[in-house]
Amino acid sequence: MSEHGVNSTLSEGAKTATAPELALQVKNLDFYYGKTHALHNISLDFPLRSVTGMIGPSGCGKSTLLRVLNRMYDLYPGQKATGEVIFDGQNILAPGVDLNLLRSRIGMVFQKPTPFPMSIYDNIAFGIRLHERVSSSEMDGRVEDALRRVALWSEVKDRLKSNATAMSGGQQQRLCIARTIATHPEVILLDEPTSALDPVSTARIEELLDELKAEFTIIMVTHNMQQAARCADQVAFFYLGDLVEIDNTDRMFTTPRERRTQDYITGRFG
Amino acid sequence: MDVSTQQPVQSAVLKPGRPKTLTGDPFFRGLVLSAGVGVLLILGAVIVVMVVGGMPAFGQFGPGFLISKVWNPVTQHFGAAAPVFGTIASSVLALLIAVPLSFGTAFWLTTLAPPAASSVIGMAVQLLAAVPSIIFGMWGFFVLVPLVAHYVQPAAKALFGHVPVVSVLISGPPFGTGLFTAAVILAIMIMPSITAVMRDVFASIPSVLRESAYGLGATRWEVMRRVVLPWSRQGVVGGIVLGMGRAMGETMAVTFVIGDSNHIGWSIFAPANTIASLIALEFPESPAGSLKLASLMALGAILMAISFVTLWCSRMLLARGQNSTGKRS
Repeated sequence: MSEHGVNSTLSEGAKTATAPELALQVKNLDFYYGKTHALHNISLDFPLRSVTGMIGPSGCGKSTLLRVLNRMYDLYPGQKATGEVIFDGQNILAPGVDLNLLRSRIGMVFQKPTPFPMSIYDNIAFGIRLHERVSSSEMDGRVEDALRRVALWSEVKDRLKSNATAMSGGQQQRLCIARTIATHPEVILLDEPTSALDPVSTARIEELLDELKAEFTIIMVTHNMQQAARCADQVAFFYLGDLVEIDNTDRMFTTPRERRTQDYITGRFG
Repeated sequence: MDVSTQQPVQSAVLKPGRPKTLTGDPFFRGLVLSAGVGVLLILGAVIVVMVVGGMPAFGQFGPGFLISKVWNPVTQHFGAAAPVFGTIASSVLALLIAVPLSFGTAFWLTTLAPPAASSVIGMAVQLLAAVPSIIFGMWGFFVLVPLVAHYVQPAAKALFGHVPVVSVLISGPPFGTGLFTAAVILAIMIMPSITAVMRDVFASIPSVLRESAYGLGATRWEVMRRVVLPWSRQGVVGGIVLGMGRAMGETMAVTFVIGDSNHIGWSIFAPANTIASLIALEFPESPAGSLKLASLMALGAILMAISFVTLWCSRMLLARGQNSTGKRS
């Protein structure tokens, strides 16, 4: 996996499109909350089937970038992105992009678990039903498969019809991941997925990410530098709306090129 | 630092300085207590007056008062069935009109409207609630009644006059006054409060929950139907019942347009009476101590009972809705 990270670093200067290996490519992205300029000319590549960790102090723009990648910002008037985000050969920031289809292909998991107020089964089936017409036996299979993938099946198989809001926080977050992968996305965005969880639940989610990256491209915002070091193949460091540095994880944490990166990862600020 | 230097000074001022007031505090306490108890007394007095005043009618006609639809001052026979029917029928019809309207408005205001438009329309909806009911009554009488008589009912007859069940619902001569006209006026009057409740419960859903649904590729309508509505169902029902309570008690506007007829029938265009409109119309012609006055008081007691039950139901639903919302978040 690490060679993807190296590739992306190399291509940073040359900008040679190693197209088949990239899931997403961000080019000259600027983002505005009204008049506030939140992201400055960001360019970076997300290699296919790898984990990218995005770190940086609060307000550095890493969550904002995440919300650009599935155009979640579109829900709020006054938020605007310029530049390009290339996904499957198409600029997803262009007008006329089918947002519902886009979001089914680029799934998102949030900081806090967000189970819908319905049964465990229906939580998983929700996303599938939005985009596909499947028979009930096939749906049962899809739900079971998604729950098995997040190692939740054995815990909940006897109470699929009970309300998802009654589960523990860690279970709820795994349910949310299952809900996202059930629709077979290509990219999964994770916004500090374990910050509301205890260490045991966190460890399970991290293991899960390791398995999921065989199939999905994972982009994760995290405040936890150890987590970035443990899970990510490449790490991007953001500071005050700038992408300061992006490199493969080992190099980022051992020999960062930028002074600000060094200061941040050694805990001098942030 | 600041606190520790100031503490001794403060306590020096407070502790020995002011003696505990002996008169002011108990006086104020008594004042607010009597205000609180006063509300209870007034409510109790109103109930007692209505029930005691209505006793002669209940005594004369017994439980039959509730099911008799006769209202004949000449033969001194009075029954509550017709105005109770009119009250419930006009309110239910009003809800049928107001609920979709309110839902659409609240949905648009919370999810689709640009912020500027949302605040303007939101304000307009609240202003609608501030229009005095007599204004709606006059508007209904001069504008809506002719409209219904000349266009709405004839058009309905032309379109559905031959459809078996529907033709009964729209039968009768086109007076313009009647249940439907009253329901339209009531719908306009209760729509603001239902909209306000719906808007609040829709807005109270955590934005991450909404975003998760969008994040799976749901459209705005799918998010509303599958996530927001199930989440806020009880609040929505509470708001609807609250509106129904208002509709049943509304007097002035309804009296103008309902047509004053003690009649129970299937046609939604037929003139009718509600409890409130009947009391308003007949009260001036009821001498003290008469059986008619007692019957009107009894009707008032029935209306209060219906209103209390609906209000209580809506409170229950709203409170339960809030509780479960709190638990989930």
